[in-house]
Amino acid sequence: MNSPLHAQAPLTSLGMFDILDIMSISTNISSTMPYREKTAWLSLIAMALTIGPYLIWMSIVPPTKPLPDLPTMSLFAAAVVAQVLLMGGGHLWLRMRSPEEAKSPPDERDHAVSLRSVSVAYYVLIVGMILVGCVMPFNSGGWKLINTAVAVIVLAEVVHYGIVIWGYRRGFA
Amino acid sequence: MTKKRIANQIRTLRFMNGEMTQAELGQRIGVTRQTIAAIEAGKYAPSLEAAFRIADVFGKNLDDVFQWERAE
Repeated sequence: MNSPLHAQAPLTSLGMFDILDIMSISTNISSTMPYREKTAWLSLIAMALTIGPYLIWMSIVPPTKPLPDLPTMSLFAAAVVAQVLLMGGGHLWLRMRSPEEAKSPPDERDHAVSLRSVSVAYYVLIVGMILVGCVMPFNSGGWKLINTAVAVIVLAEVVHYGIVIWGYRRGFA
Repeated sequence: MTKKRIANQIRTLRFMNGEMTQAELGQRIGVTRQTIAAIEAGKYAPSLEAAFRIADVFGKNLDDVFQWERAE
């Protein structure tokens, strides 16, 4: 009943709630997605376009030189700078498109979604960091250690934003 | 344990209160329009305080707005 296609039905077959649906759709079509879901999508996309390719490249062509290995460091710095620029530009664009939503403080649903996503992502991060900080130093080091730490952080962020999106789309009721 | 869910009459009550929009209701209880939409769709169970606020906006008792019923 929430589909915009529903609005194409003949007027005679419309019930009270159908009319209400159409009214809600036509008046709020530009703001169907919560602002915080948009920012979660932005973060996921920015990570997929920047740190993602860096990690894929590092797994295909692992750095062989000892630290600091400036070319690898430059590649990592470029990925981070690109991510920061994408995030900054994306947030600016979102703010310009919906300034009211951007200014409004998080409500109780935002807090509930955030709490759920952060608590799950925390476990991913803590397990990953135990692996990187307590297990890996016995058998590896250098860029392998650094890149695994970056991958764990990225994984935790993907879980975090993924649960945020899931929470807004499917709900936790 | 029997699976139950929280049903609500918010859509009906909005219609009966001068076709109040989700945004207007949200503004009056301090949540976003999307949160009202999620509550109506059963995707989010509001806090007790928000539930009382919603009932208060419509001048109804809590159980006139929200019902605890068996899920289908």
